[in-house]
Amino acid sequence: MRTWRGLVGLTAFFAFWQGLTMVGIIDPFMMPSPISVIEALWEMALDGSLWINLGASLQRVLVGYAAACVVGVSLGLLCGWWRVVADFVRPVVDALRPIPPLAWIPITILWFGIGDMASYFLVFLGAVFPTFIATYTAVRGLDRNQMNAALCLGAGPRLLFADVLIPASLPIILPGLRIALGIGWACVVTAELIAAQSGLGYLIQQSRMLFQIQNVVAGMVAIGLVGLLMSLLLERLERRVNAWAPSERA
Amino acid sequence: MNQMSMIAADTPIAIAGLSKIYPGQRGGTAVTALQHVDLTIRRGEFVSLLGPSGCGKSTLLSIVAGFQKASEGSVLQDGVPITGPGPSRTVVFQDYALFGWMTIQKNVEFGLKAKGMPARERAEIARALIAKVQLSGFEDKYPHEVSGGMKQRAAIARALAPDPEILLMDEPFGALDAQTRVLLQEEIARLSSDAGKTVIFVTHGIEEAVFLADRVVVMSPRPGRVREEVLVPLPRPRTAEMRADPWFVRTVKDLWDTLKPDWQKEQGQ
Ligand SMILES: Nc1ncnc2c1ncn2[C@@H]1O[C@H](COP(=O)(O)OP(=O)(O)OP(=O)(O)O)[C@@H](O)[C@H]1O
Ligand SMILES: [Mg+2]
Repeated sequence: MRTWRGLVGLTAFFAFWQGLTMVGIIDPFMMPSPISVIEALWEMALDGSLWINLGASLQRVLVGYAAACVVGVSLGLLCGWWRVVADFVRPVVDALRPIPPLAWIPITILWFGIGDMASYFLVFLGAVFPTFIATYTAVRGLDRNQMNAALCLGAGPRLLFADVLIPASLPIILPGLRIALGIGWACVVTAELIAAQSGLGYLIQQSRMLFQIQNVVAGMVAIGLVGLLMSLLLERLERRVNAWAPSERA
Repeated sequence: MNQMSMIAADTPIAIAGLSKIYPGQRGGTAVTALQHVDLTIRRGEFVSLLGPSGCGKSTLLSIVAGFQKASEGSVLQDGVPITGPGPSRTVVFQDYALFGWMTIQKNVEFGLKAKGMPARERAEIARALIAKVQLSGFEDKYPHEVSGGMKQRAAIARALAPDPEILLMDEPFGALDAQTRVLLQEEIARLSSDAGKTVIFVTHGIEEAVFLADRVVVMSPRPGRVREEVLVPLPRPRTAEMRADPWFVRTVKDLWDTLKPDWQKEQGQ
């Protein structure tokens, strides 16, 4: 039922867009119609350029995102558990956080040149903060009584971590990880616009220079659809893992 | 055996000169939650801790549990100072504090797992305990799938699982409706006298305190002190009819008269 509504929403969006271009409110040179975008996508799929660039982007986002998860979650756990660590780390994080990944691009190119490393780094930068914040918030918000209950039942550090701390935090950590992946995905495209020789962002940039506006939009549509898919997959996983949590029981 | 250890053997919990001062947060004034509390609890004894809100009952219990440190004075278990929480003193909380991500079975098994008991054995012990608190058939349910009364039964089973010497209960029935409350009171009366556990039971309810306890310890408003102790001569296990016993009725009324001014003051605040 929910999937069905989602499909209706998407279809309506594309129909509305198609309608606007057909009536002539939008100049097709400024904004191609969905049908011509789909044609462009189809052609790129056939000649393989779509898959090559999509693969390059996915590989970059995965590496950068994995690094962000490891660093963000570990740091979040440390800061959440030990107040002192948070006192040192929080100001640094809160000062770095407002700098948008875009502003990091010049220095990223200086450090890593044009290539995969630059993209990994930008994805990492985009994804690490939400991951950290979610984990930190989750651990801070743990129920004191539940912790005490575990302690008085004799739980050692290992059991406390694996059976209490982690499962109790997942309802807040996992949505944070999902949001971080979305941001990472946006960052990889940004990085590729400037600092890469392949990928969907690179494809958009190339198409712009060749005035293939329908390919530009096709690249954007591909980015959007892949992002949607990632989000749906992670949400599914979340539902399963956090089935017990109040937030999953509406 | 020398005299010291003989005393220790009979008094699993000995509290002497216990004070607790919470330092003021950000320039606020410090709160003296407990002031010079002396209390000795005998093995197998059921002690109800009764007193107005804010008199430090929960504070006292959490110090005995080892969750907090005393500011002054000593708290000994079998003659040894309590330095932290441990499975010889388990706690039943008002809000159950069950692990929501575990089934009731796994919740009850938790303390056994912590001991390193093999899975087979702990499953068996947990099942028996679940039966004892009359939750058989609900082993595989998650806490959110059962009623408040059932949650508290599960929490009691979980607290009993590591076979603690002392059971600490902080208003365990405070969040339950009146009928469930009465049923669980009777069950705790049965369970605790069956298991011969030493129990400290914090409550606001005078009836409940008298019905369950061998001794009711009445605390004064903040800063909390022991103000009065009432020995309950009713036989164990306690049964529903005892609520009509003339001694019971009179004692409940007397305690109500003692505590009424405090409660009125509390309301007026
Ligand atoms: N962590 C804390 N920090 C500061 N003050 C505290 C803290 N815990 C309790 N207090 C204060 O200590 C006093 C005693 O609190 P406590 O919770 O022990 O009372 P109580 O008898 O259990 O009350 P109630 O019947 O309402 O549960 C209260 O005035 C409370 O505000
Ligand atoms: Mg309390």
